[in-house]
Amino acid sequence: MQDVLENALEWAMNNLKAEYIELRYENLKKTNLELKDGTFVTFTNKVQRGVAIRVLADGAWGFSSTNRLENLEKAIEEAYKLAKAGAKAKREKIQLAEIKPVEDVVKSKMKIKPVEVDIDDKIGHLKELEKLLKEDKVVKSTMIRYEDASGEKILLTNEGTKIRWDVNYLVQYIWTTGKEGDKLAASRDSIGQVDYGWEIFETKETNEIVAQRVLKKLYAQLNGVAPKRGEFPIVAGPIIVGIIAHEALGHLAEADLTINSPFKDLMGKQIAPEFVTMSERIVDGGFGNDKYDDEGVPIKDIHIIENGILKELMVNREYAHKWGIEPNGHARAQDYTFPPIIRMRNTVFEPGDWSFEEMIEDIKFGYYVVDFRGGQAQLNSAFQVGVQEGYMIENGEITKPIRDTSISGIAIEALKKITAVGKDFGIETGFCGKGQTAFVSSGGPHMRFDGGIIIG
Amino acid sequence: MEELIRFGERFFDELEIAVYRNRDVGVNIELNEVSTSSVRQRTITVIRGIKDKRIGISIIDSEDKEEIKKAIEEAYKMAKLNAPDEKWVSLPEPGEYREPKKIGKEVKEVSPDYFVDLATKAIKLALEKDKGFVVAGGGGGAEWSENLVVNSHGIDVFQEGGGAYFYLELIGRKNGNVTPGIFEFDAKLGLNLEVEKVVEGVAQKVKWAYNVEKSKTEEAKVIVGPWAMASLLSYALFPAFSGERVVKETTPLLNKVEQKIASELLTIYDDPFHELSLKPVIADDEGVPTRKNMLIENGVFKGFVWNDYWAKVYGTESTGNGTRNLSTGGIGIGFHSIVIEKGKESINDLIAEIDHGYLVDGFQGAHSSNPDNGNFAVVANPAFLIENGEVKGSTVFMMSGNVYELINQIYAISKEQKVIPFHGTTITPWVAFENVRIAGK
Repeated sequence: MQDVLENALEWAMNNLKAEYIELRYENLKKTNLELKDGTFVTFTNKVQRGVAIRVLADGAWGFSSTNRLENLEKAIEEAYKLAKAGAKAKREKIQLAEIKPVEDVVKSKMKIKPVEVDIDDKIGHLKELEKLLKEDKVVKSTMIRYEDASGEKILLTNEGTKIRWDVNYLVQYIWTTGKEGDKLAASRDSIGQVDYGWEIFETKETNEIVAQRVLKKLYAQLNGVAPKRGEFPIVAGPIIVGIIAHEALGHLAEADLTINSPFKDLMGKQIAPEFVTMSERIVDGGFGNDKYDDEGVPIKDIHIIENGILKELMVNREYAHKWGIEPNGHARAQDYTFPPIIRMRNTVFEPGDWSFEEMIEDIKFGYYVVDFRGGQAQLNSAFQVGVQEGYMIENGEITKPIRDTSISGIAIEALKKITAVGKDFGIETGFCGKGQTAFVSSGGPHMRFDGGIIIG
Repeated sequence: MEELIRFGERFFDELEIAVYRNRDVGVNIELNEVSTSSVRQRTITVIRGIKDKRIGISIIDSEDKEEIKKAIEEAYKMAKLNAPDEKWVSLPEPGEYREPKKIGKEVKEVSPDYFVDLATKAIKLALEKDKGFVVAGGGGGAEWSENLVVNSHGIDVFQEGGGAYFYLELIGRKNGNVTPGIFEFDAKLGLNLEVEKVVEGVAQKVKWAYNVEKSKTEEAKVIVGPWAMASLLSYALFPAFSGERVVKETTPLLNKVEQKIASELLTIYDDPFHELSLKPVIADDEGVPTRKNMLIENGVFKGFVWNDYWAKVYGTESTGNGTRNLSTGGIGIGFHSIVIEKGKESINDLIAEIDHGYLVDGFQGAHSSNPDNGNFAVVANPAFLIENGEVKGSTVFMMSGNVYELINQIYAISKEQKVIPFHGTTITPWVAFENVRIAGK
């Protein structure tokens, strides 16, 4: 296929007056299984194959995508014409930050790629997980969705970038409904991996560990009491800390959004206590891990907040040029039907030196929030996170669980109220939506907020 | 297709082939400028075959006959590996279809230039209105799709259609304050998009948001706007109408048919042929005829919606609500155009009648609602304070409770409806609730 792409690119370079031409080919074989209460309602093989074409001409972008591979020249020409049409309305011409073109083959780090696992083993794994969940009598209904993919992605540009990836990922998502008396409650769980393969289900995420985690969340909901509404000391676990890092702060540091956010005027300023650092980086098991982004830029770790100071932003080549900074590898596209846009990868708070016990010992009354179900934020950093697992803290001890509630606040205000950062670290993997879906992780240590977050 | 069905019958007891051809054109707006113009075309073919009650699905990015044959063989391999589904009865049979709505073809052929011009005009209009305005985002485009579903029982339905949309996200900057991003949009079956109205609507809301007001912790009247209404009910209420949840006993509406569950003012139905519908489909994704399904009529719960599979498991008939997930090929239960029936008063009158209350434009966190029991805890943002019949400024508050209590607190519904292209389509008016508990900030 690389030959076909190279020929099409050469044709475009000879025939079109464009500043930049990018072809991104994708050919993935996916398996989708969905086990709903004993039955596989989805049992699917999928081939996803097509080309994304992006052309910069006269300072404007044109994009086309197609799965008709027999006439790539036509699709490239279409993108070129679109760029030309857009350019007529453009006051400020788009320019790209310089990069050194890369030629590379990106190998998978997975020990056992999903494609190497027999389908019977996948079926057996999901059935066993369902059995473990259903053994508990409160579980009324389970839905376990599994998806994996193996294949290749090729990126070619007129600047000389030639990268071929061996693409592999796997995803497991669970939704469980429990019933006790008249009370109905739900619990969700998700696992997503690009670096660890099937071995993850034999080591860190065995069915026993996952089932136990899901049931713990379910019982917390079923036995939970409604929390008091108001502002109390809150200790947030890694998953909640992560969702705040991602939703309420991370999006503000995506350069295309920064310009309209409070971060614009806060660059270089102290926005949190000096013991707070938040990064966008490669993490062990991170669902956003990769070597290059979809513009062929090597991925760099950055500190969005370093020792309390707002420092770095995520950029693509266009915004790197606009802001006068070095590209750091955050241009990502969901698949061949989308152009790359600025996205997060793994957004995390860095650990500090507090133990969990030290963090809660002087709280007379407060809440410990562990896991969420849905979170959302505005560009002014106002956030809302639905809590699916949380507990009361009374006189320095974790006591009763709380049910169906949410926490909210203004993140840039809440940052100032951080009084302790734990020495532990954890992440959760999931999906981020910004018009297109991206694999992401978020996390950090346990953190304590004395104010700034409202519960209920 | 006939030939491919015959080919498939060599492997399967029954099978279905669905082809989805899609073309969309559009432009994005970023920071007061048109950013990317795009055209995307994709054809997906889904094979669903059943052998000895074992289901196998295969999806390909192609409609080439030879590729489809390979996909049929691939689906057969999957079916052989799958365990039998003892609940499986059969694929659906053909039914009586309504006459399709006549649809203008202008959407099919529209050039992206059209939307470049539309976006440029809207940006200019917005920036002229107020010097503090920033067009943070937006976009416009049109989508045309041609879908075909055939099965070995004789279903053979071809449908085509499309629609256009335009939206703007505006932010206002004044005296060092930044308003939240505020949206307004329009979506139509044709190209008759009302861009001026979109600009007018969003500009009004941003101007309201310049003035920031505190909200109290209290019980108050709250008018919920169309976008907020659609997002909250899509997560907290609509899933309860699914027949699958009846079989699994996970809907709070179990055994509530013909019982009063909401204010008499509330009527909700699913109707793809409603005048504002963006997808007037005559058949669902498995080829079963669609129809108008009453869900709540004058506060009384009327019944559930079904796809063919769950209907047969339960011993009833499909209501034409089978929807296909194109990532997995599986058929679930979904809606075409959920309509919340309009009321009698204008939205302006509803606001004018309130001495002290709130108007909610959007809810943050609606997707964290619990569909299993209707509990929700959301942040009303953007929201506006109403005093003495006038909008005073923007505010933010938390609203938590249970959707089944909330729908009993309706005291008025606006006569204006908007179509919200969200989770399918929701057509909804502004709905006014009384005695709503809110936690102010």
